[in-house]
Amino acid sequence: MSEIFLSNEVLIYLLSESVIYVLILIAALLSLQLIIKWDFGSYSEIQFTLEKRAYLVMTIITFAFIVKIATLPYFAYGIDKLSDLVPGAMCASGVIGANEYGYPLLGLKIATVFISGTWIIINNLDLQSPNYPFFRIKTGLFLLIAILISIELFLDFTYFGNITTTKPVSCCSVTFGQQGGSNPLPFGLDTAKLLVLFYLFYFMTAISAIGRYAATGFVANILFLVTAYYAVVYFFGTYIYELPTHKCPFCMLQKEYYYVGYLVWASLFSGTFFGINSLPLKWFAKKDVLYTYKFSLFFNTLFVLLVSAYVLVYYLKNGVWL
Amino acid sequence: MANSTFLRFLLLLLYQYRSKHAGIAVISSLIVALLSAVLFISQSIQAETALQLKAQPDFVVQRIRAGKRIDVPVEWLEEIQEINGVSSVTPRVYGEYYFSPREEHFLLFGVDFFDEQSSKAIEKIVQETDLRKFLSKEQMIVGDGVKKFLQEHYYKGFYNFKNPDGEIIKVPVYSSFDKETNIISNDMIIMPMELLRSIFAMDEETLTDIAFNVPNEAEWDNVLTKLHLLHYDIRVITKEEITKSYHNLFNYKGGLFLALYLITIMTFILIIYQRYAMVAVGWSIKDVLKLKFFETSIIVLLSFINGVIIAYCYVYLFDAPLLSNLFLGSENLSNEVAFMPVVDFGLLGSIFLFFGIPFIAAVLIPVWKIAVTEPKEAMK
Amino acid sequence: MIRIKNLDKIFNPSTKKAAHVLKEINLQINKGELVILKGVSGSGKSTLLSIISAMDKPTSGEVIVDGKAVSKLPDIHASHFRANSIGFIFQHFNLLDELSVKDNISIVLIPLGLSIKTVDEKVQKSMELANISHKADQQVKELSGGEKQRCAIARALVNDPGIILCDEPTANLDRTNSLHFIELVKTLQKMGKTIVIATHDPLFEEAGFHDSILHMSDGELGEPK
Repeated sequence: MSEIFLSNEVLIYLLSESVIYVLILIAALLSLQLIIKWDFGSYSEIQFTLEKRAYLVMTIITFAFIVKIATLPYFAYGIDKLSDLVPGAMCASGVIGANEYGYPLLGLKIATVFISGTWIIINNLDLQSPNYPFFRIKTGLFLLIAILISIELFLDFTYFGNITTTKPVSCCSVTFGQQGGSNPLPFGLDTAKLLVLFYLFYFMTAISAIGRYAATGFVANILFLVTAYYAVVYFFGTYIYELPTHKCPFCMLQKEYYYVGYLVWASLFSGTFFGINSLPLKWFAKKDVLYTYKFSLFFNTLFVLLVSAYVLVYYLKNGVWL
Repeated sequence: MANSTFLRFLLLLLYQYRSKHAGIAVISSLIVALLSAVLFISQSIQAETALQLKAQPDFVVQRIRAGKRIDVPVEWLEEIQEINGVSSVTPRVYGEYYFSPREEHFLLFGVDFFDEQSSKAIEKIVQETDLRKFLSKEQMIVGDGVKKFLQEHYYKGFYNFKNPDGEIIKVPVYSSFDKETNIISNDMIIMPMELLRSIFAMDEETLTDIAFNVPNEAEWDNVLTKLHLLHYDIRVITKEEITKSYHNLFNYKGGLFLALYLITIMTFILIIYQRYAMVAVGWSIKDVLKLKFFETSIIVLLSFINGVIIAYCYVYLFDAPLLSNLFLGSENLSNEVAFMPVVDFGLLGSIFLFFGIPFIAAVLIPVWKIAVTEPKEAMK
Repeated sequence: MIRIKNLDKIFNPSTKKAAHVLKEINLQINKGELVILKGVSGSGKSTLLSIISAMDKPTSGEVIVDGKAVSKLPDIHASHFRANSIGFIFQHFNLLDELSVKDNISIVLIPLGLSIKTVDEKVQKSMELANISHKADQQVKELSGGEKQRCAIARALVNDPGIILCDEPTANLDRTNSLHFIELVKTLQKMGKTIVIATHDPLFEEAGFHDSILHMSDGELGEPK
């Protein structure tokens, strides 16, 4: 067994994941039964029992969702802590790249939280309607989430099981820095163009949120999410670190930067989550789900103000740009 | 979400059934306190050792004969100095001195007070010492544990060492070093190198081992190879190895913890199972679930805050009586340590997740069961 | 108005323990009517009341209250219907003994998301109506049987429901308190509430304030014998 498993953070993280998985498994089995036998028109006692079990399923999913949100930053924190044990790693970036399971796991975790969030919103819409109109959609979606979480748990164990403490990994300056002058940005963008796109897409998301254009918002938020990721890593991050060569999405999660990374990524993910979800929810509910627009605007704006403030404050303090 | 009447009712319930809730809160707080204390201590030890390790030399070279460590000849010193990239090569002379009646030992550490010290902790002690006064005769500086030990055995400011030939060497205590850096140096005695050689009857031309640094990490493997080419009987200890062996002192009496935990959860489930038909008076299943969920969360949160505060006082204000022995071992000199407070959000988060998630997960299904109970059954 | 069409209720259907407790019930109760439902215990009175209040579901048939079919509502809507339109008085009161009279009554209003001020006003009003306001801050366990009953009535009235259902309301009361209860029901009748009382207490019949009496035996409704 790898000595990684002896780290407190990893142990507690895996314990939480396993506990949640047991609950999810129970909920998944109940859901299978629900989706097969569900007949809302029926007056049979089985149907009433099922309606009650549906409440157990939604209780479990809601709880699992809360825990998933809580363990996402904790996962980042635990990984960051491991950088002491893994040779060569200065922050979470090196540890997450320590084997080929790290990045898929991180991506999957974020995706799971996104989809679970969508599930919660659909569930609320469903409960408020007089005849459970989205029952099959939400149960199907949950089964999909259950599969994702199964893969996630498998990746959790394979990922941590395969981190070696002997093989050196590359630190973030290698992973994200320019190697041999090649441009790390996609589509041959340079920093100036990236920033123009960043603010342009932000205004698109803001206008779609204010005007309630769900379809435009859907596209704008996806574009904004991708651009914002690159903008934070290759531009705004350097102002957070106050070092033009320090390009890393993970180091800002550390104490040295007042854990600001958690706020940066949380606001970006929340804003784009609500922005992207406006469209599918409008589909389901056949009307605008108003608060998605409000939250999308709020969190996206918070995110943009936060990262822009770092640049401005640096300029005001030092009188130069990086 | 929680409107004010809901909140008022929730608090009312907690208050009205306070004696039942208090019982749970007390046991839960104890669990959290135990868990936190263990984590606080291990975190402090890790932080302390990390500090100590930062001061440790990158490499230590020893000599092995038939699997046993023997003294190193002084010539090795120069040979090592000639390797490229090597700096601050320090000869070290030290040894364990057994105090046979009580089967305890001190670590005697010989220091050349005019040399550069490879260990920062010792460097600090040397700087704080008035060398002219200290070196005017043969004296020693002792760790806190040693000082206590001497007091308990009625040595008034001196100790009589016996060398292997049975001669008695009386050494007065010059001063002692402070409690804060105690975890490693508790049983340590610092004295001039020549004095130490005479106590252990060591050859003038030998050393216990040699410590040195290699600032460029990329050179470490190279240096290692060169050292092994130098002598067949050489043993090299690198800082990397020590760092890892110091990590993860995490172990505690798991069984006790688990038993307490299960008892609490079972009692709690009984308490939240109030047979009252909310559903009959216009509450939905969702409302009842919400109420019970908040009830549970408040208990969890209160116990968490309480437990952490108790553990903080126990470890950092009272220096963790009993538990610290579990960690530091009590077979040696009494390890009276002052832990330095190392608490960060991550650690608090760890405790919360470790306690809260299994707790809430365990009551989830019972809570649902209560919420969907038929009003008729609940009213019986 | 309450309309019940072809209502059937079978407990544990298609098992050996199957019990057909309601058989082909057809009934119409107009707004403001007071109906006494008579029958021995086990005749299906309580089940009928709990199906009307959407606490229980029928095996077949329909219950329509004010033009809305209530028997097939999802839980949130069923409880919403109960919280807004139904006041239920139970035989065993169903009160939380450790809480005060006031707090017991306010429980009904909590899911409705009203402000504290509105809740307190409504509770005060219904306590006065049920003549229990002098005991507002007393714990329920310190009350006498009659006082508990009045607390339960105040709770049933606090949401100002159009329909009041009583399940053996006087079974745990002495004669004096039962007569008090009947006086109170008369007041409610004057307020225009639709009232259904399931009971085998002859006092109600003697009071002579009912619009109709229904007899239930073995799950079937019949004319008075």
